[in-house]
Amino acid sequence: MFNSAESVERLVNWLARLPGIGRKTATRLAFHILKLPAEEALELADIIRDVKEKVSFCSVCCNISETDPCHTCTDPKRRKDIICVVEEPMDAAALDKVDEFNGLFHVLGGRLSPLDGIGPDDLKIKELLARLNDKISEVIIATNPQVEGEATATYLARLIKPMGIKVTRIARGLPVGADLEYADSVTLTRALEGRQEF
Amino acid sequence: MAGIISAVFHIRDKMRVISLSINGFRNLTTIRADFSTGVNIFYGANASGKTNLLEALFTLCLGRSQRGVPDSILLNWNCDVYRLEGLVETKGRQYRLAVAFQRGGRKKLTLDSVQTGLAELYSHFTAVSAGPEDGEILAGPPSVRRAFLDIYLSQYTPNYLTILTQYQRALSQKNAALRREMDPSPFEPQLITFGAKVMHARQGFLSTLGEIASRYHYDISSGEQLVLMYRPTLPHMKVETSVEGFETLLQQRISEYGDRERAVQMTLVGPHRDEIVFEVGGYPARTHGSRGQCRTAAISLKLAIYHMLREKRGMPPLLLLDEVFAELDENRTAALVDAFSGFSQLFMTTATLPPAQLKELGHCYRVVGGHIEDLA
Repeated sequence: MFNSAESVERLVNWLARLPGIGRKTATRLAFHILKLPAEEALELADIIRDVKEKVSFCSVCCNISETDPCHTCTDPKRRKDIICVVEEPMDAAALDKVDEFNGLFHVLGGRLSPLDGIGPDDLKIKELLARLNDKISEVIIATNPQVEGEATATYLARLIKPMGIKVTRIARGLPVGADLEYADSVTLTRALEGRQEF
Repeated sequence: MAGIISAVFHIRDKMRVISLSINGFRNLTTIRADFSTGVNIFYGANASGKTNLLEALFTLCLGRSQRGVPDSILLNWNCDVYRLEGLVETKGRQYRLAVAFQRGGRKKLTLDSVQTGLAELYSHFTAVSAGPEDGEILAGPPSVRRAFLDIYLSQYTPNYLTILTQYQRALSQKNAALRREMDPSPFEPQLITFGAKVMHARQGFLSTLGEIASRYHYDISSGEQLVLMYRPTLPHMKVETSVEGFETLLQQRISEYGDRERAVQMTLVGPHRDEIVFEVGGYPARTHGSRGQCRTAAISLKLAIYHMLREKRGMPPLLLLDEVFAELDENRTAALVDAFSGFSQLFMTTATLPPAQLKELGHCYRVVGGHIEDLA
């Protein structure tokens, strides 16, 4: 098919390696890029280069950032006594959209998963402990509510609690706006366990 | 037999398989068949594929084989993909079901063209199968008993499967941690929470099952006692233990076994090591039971489960009987079918000519070399 255009085939092959992109979509994207005006296509190339060259990790919270420390860590309007611990930068981005949370983040860069060979030393836990001092009043653990996320939360709580800092876990239960009948039984059980008095 | 006829035609909430098409499943390379309500008899020589048809029906409805074998074994030797598709009616609604598996890949389950999971299938459909391999439930290794328990308890309490899956995931993480000499303790609170729920569900189910099955066994075997005991790897367990009680016991036992687990690099405490002890006529079935005793006891178990599921789910489960009549005369066959009274659809296999009364009630299919012919 691409006998006459080897570079297009290379592009398709490369795009097909992206998560969620199959061969068909990759082909469509490749031809779209091919049709773009040269400056637009090269702009994409530049953006990709920038992402790789400029973005690194904040040495404090371990989130992705173009500055070190990152804007979140240096923002004077944020509360400096609350740290919310998440697995990945995407989780921090999601929580950051919430007005109710105005504290700092700490990105672990994964979760405990011995099956994948990931232990505590592979996560940014030492960096988290280094941030904990008497000015910190609360650590919120917001790892995902799956087996591995829960184990990570357990591990962190055991480390941090003896330091005399309040450790909390985000609540698990029903998504707002969802129908009860569509919730799975584990979620419903959790929602019942976490019920609150009026 | 009047009992059967009336029962077949007076049930409003029922479950039945209307049609089934099979590709690349065991020795069944291509098959398509429509089935009737009531009795469907697969008749044919040994190794013609009768049992495989029952297995295909079970796998279609519940996403896995009643024999608990992996999908790679269900796959035809010469095929890379197996696919089961069928139309199944339950409680007055028809569903299009499909199960597909590719060699080296993952199994895909779809319900009305939407991808789904096992728990969803278990919440809609229910099936009970009985066959010659059931003797293993009493005489075989503990893993056979746990597999048997999990297949039917998942149908009895749909929540169970989800909790069991969570438990197994936490268990494989803890085992991996032990193998890699990492700290296994972060996974232990979840092993305790989910493990206690699994054990509590198993205890409740087995206590009801034991009661009902022993009554059936007493009748079928003319007065023999069948006793069933849940034996988890926990000391001091009471007959009625609450979820919290199991949590405490598990917690204690896990801390006692910590060193040993690290030494053998394996989790030694929890429901994955549960045992069920069967006693037939006062002796442990596993060591002292005869083949015949074990088979009769297994039929009593299946009868009990059939009635428990029927009651709990508000409809009779799909009934799959593999060669159960081979050793019975016509009267006992009729008695056994009567004991499974009220079924909405029965699939059975036989290598000998099917009992005449049963033939009148339904459809007969001849199975030859992995193919099926409608004989009615």
